[in-house]
Amino acid sequence: MFYSDGEMKDFYYTAVMMNTGVDYKVIRELFERKEIKTHRDLYDMASRPESKIRGMEISSRSEKKISDWMGSKGKVEKACEEYMRIGEQNGIKVISTLDQLYPLNFRVQTGMPKVIYCKGHTELLKQCSHQGAIAVVGSRNASSYALYATDSFSREFSRKGITIISGMALGIDRKAHEAALEGTGSTIAILAGGPDNVYPNENKELYRNIAGRGLIVSEMPPGQQPLRQYFPSRNRLIAGLADCTLVMEAGAVSGTLHTASFAAAQGKEVFVLPNNIYFENAEGGLRLLEDGCCVLFSSDNVIDSVSQAILRRRLEFPDLMDSKEQTGITVNSDSKRDKISLIRLKADKTPDEVTDDEWKTLIEDELTVKPLDIDNLCRILGLPFYRISELLICLQMAGRVVLENGKYALTFR
Amino acid sequence: MAVKPSVARVYSGFARGTDCIITELEVSVTPGIPTFSVIGLCDSSIRESHGRILTALRSSGFNMPKGHVTISISPAYMKKSGSGFDLAMAIGILFASGQIPYDPKRKLYAEGELSLDGSVKGTPGAALRLNKAGREGFSYILIPEEERDSARCTGFEGQCVKDLAEACSVFGFAGYNPEKLLLVEDTAGQDGSPDISMLKGQEKTKRAIILSAAGFHNMLLLGSPGSGKTMAAKILSGILPPLDASETGDVYALYEALEGPSTRISSERPVRCISPEITSGQLLGNTISMTPGEMALANHGVLFADEIMEFPSQILELMRKPLEEREVRLFRNGITYTYPADLIFIGAGNPCKCGMFYEPGSRCRCSAGMRKRYLTKLSGPFLERIDIFSEMRSIGKDDMALMYAGIESAESPKIKEKIARCWVSQHERYGGKTFNSNIASADLADSMRLSKQILSYCSELASKGMFSARGYQKTLRLARTIADYEGRTDVIKSDVAEAAVFRAHEL
Repeated sequence: MFYSDGEMKDFYYTAVMMNTGVDYKVIRELFERKEIKTHRDLYDMASRPESKIRGMEISSRSEKKISDWMGSKGKVEKACEEYMRIGEQNGIKVISTLDQLYPLNFRVQTGMPKVIYCKGHTELLKQCSHQGAIAVVGSRNASSYALYATDSFSREFSRKGITIISGMALGIDRKAHEAALEGTGSTIAILAGGPDNVYPNENKELYRNIAGRGLIVSEMPPGQQPLRQYFPSRNRLIAGLADCTLVMEAGAVSGTLHTASFAAAQGKEVFVLPNNIYFENAEGGLRLLEDGCCVLFSSDNVIDSVSQAILRRRLEFPDLMDSKEQTGITVNSDSKRDKISLIRLKADKTPDEVTDDEWKTLIEDELTVKPLDIDNLCRILGLPFYRISELLICLQMAGRVVLENGKYALTFR
Repeated sequence: MAVKPSVARVYSGFARGTDCIITELEVSVTPGIPTFSVIGLCDSSIRESHGRILTALRSSGFNMPKGHVTISISPAYMKKSGSGFDLAMAIGILFASGQIPYDPKRKLYAEGELSLDGSVKGTPGAALRLNKAGREGFSYILIPEEERDSARCTGFEGQCVKDLAEACSVFGFAGYNPEKLLLVEDTAGQDGSPDISMLKGQEKTKRAIILSAAGFHNMLLLGSPGSGKTMAAKILSGILPPLDASETGDVYALYEALEGPSTRISSERPVRCISPEITSGQLLGNTISMTPGEMALANHGVLFADEIMEFPSQILELMRKPLEEREVRLFRNGITYTYPADLIFIGAGNPCKCGMFYEPGSRCRCSAGMRKRYLTKLSGPFLERIDIFSEMRSIGKDDMALMYAGIESAESPKIKEKIARCWVSQHERYGGKTFNSNIASADLADSMRLSKQILSYCSELASKGMFSARGYQKTLRLARTIADYEGRTDVIKSDVAEAAVFRAHEL
């Protein structure tokens, strides 16, 4: 079987939510009354004897909905199987709150889906948490000015290791994804329908590219058509997964404005690309500026905002953010510092015994303070030029440092 | 009554571009009222020879024959100039008039300008002419004493003469006493280049200079004013191995043609500096006077373009083709004149208008747009000719103190030796005087001994955007040079990585 038992229960949870009257309110109530511990328990609940279900102390509304569900168990199970079949066919992965990969940005907010369906590189979700993510949204028929800005900002952020999140619509969304793909490929598309559903059809090629190098995410199960009413909910996820939102261009009535208001409601900064006041399609964006959003003028402010978000996350989830696999990260914890001073000592006494990885750690440590040029790195570390260049290229290949204005800088994390 | 004219044939030559045309001079003397005419598209410097020859003959104890003297210089359709024909003409007249014995079976080559007292003087372009004349199989070759140095450069066999009388004595009792003139190894000049250790704290540029010399790679240095770009070019000339005998000859011949016989023979590689106000004529060569330009003069050496960003883009584009073909072509009257220009090109410039972009702190006041506009001066095709990119910063105060505290140990001589070895290994691999930078690009992997892993590593780097697709080949060439310099038979991954660092630039 393609999916594990737990994952099957995730599918079941979605099937219940999609096909019966059971909604978030009911689930919340069940959690509060301690009837279920995780969303997966819903599957076990279905097989409980009826008397036990009746015995639950819940509101009459919930009771009605649950008995509704109990009445259509067969339909739910059938839907669940159908989802799994389509999911298996398309290689779709399930990630729930119980998974390590579940985005930290979703954890800290209420109302985020407990189960998400993904296609592509799910590690990107982790990268989002470690290196930051930015939502880039805007109108479908954007001006060339906005498209140009989207391209240049997305490219720059992607090169710094920041994930670009958008909705794979035409116009700005598409440009944002494309630019990120041309960078390091760190981009996530959040779809309104199931993750196997390409919408709009013009983006078929783009969908393939994102699934190949980036990640497709949806809260909808495989096979689900993108319905009109799903789009606002999708916009909520875009804002929710990102650390800040860039509004490149928005008309007076636009889904983009939804995304912006979700972001604002979640306490995240919204940056708006300033535009011509006589240009009708930019009215929504300009109104956002009037309401006090930040002006998207240079990448520096956006990066500040992202770095603050990462810092907060680091304080909030010290264990999750400091996992073993991310050896390169220079976290200023004591053990890390001790390790670096040890390497430093070793480099002073017996430089020949220092391994490449240790040198790389030292280089990254030097770069945390400020970007440095290669001559200074040679001087500080006392390594010959050819060694430094080799190490730097390795780090550059791994996306840990970038060359900017003739100096090497740490990529954003 | 027709009198059969007595005709004597002698040979001389003139330089055209870097080529030499051997000419045949026919001298006839027929009875009649004395006249003197020279024919064969000669300019006035040749026609005026009448006065010089007349007096020189008298001073040397001969007479100008009474009668019509006609001298035809062939090939007659080519324009000729220069006073170097004087000696040949004078000897031809003496032959034709029977004042010295003439043996038509023995070919004579002679050149040199006559002064009124009969002494023979050298003329510019001797090295070019003698190079050709020495190989034509003449029985006698007579050249002015002043051209001895030029002759030495060409590995020439002939006789140097002081005056007309000495030249004529060759056909008398003294006989022909040719000497083999060879370059003696006393040509190494006083090395005035600064030592490479002066580049303290500029590790990237230091390495860039070494690699540029090691593989004859063109280089671009961007840095703030006073960061030592010009010094870097001088250092480069100091670590290049000396010219070998034939290269010395090439270089000397060109300079001699320009400056005359007083040019010093030197095995030091030429360094030509050009500045933004250079004209296309100065750069490539003047098509009217046929004087070689800076690119030709830098053959076998270094062409240093300071303030490259200030050059008119037209001039930069003109440089492109010669850099690619390693020769300069000039066209005049439907004839192509080719000057070899096998050189290391070094461009140095500011990274932005104020020049402070790479300086620590925020001393640069240029906006990103301004910078971009500034750098677009160098077009893509032009940058394609550049193998190595490096940036320079002004030297820190600690390093400055060290620099002037006296150089603890000169590094240049050691590096020079290493580069010489590196050159040998390249020449052995490719045959001839080919370098990693100019080996034909077909089958690079094979000729450079590059493994599959290296190729795929390089394309991986390219795909990660470390350098452009067209930089791929340049990176491989540079990696090969690094391996050669370090004395490795095969290129390893770290060589490619290092080469990639020199390809990373923002232009």
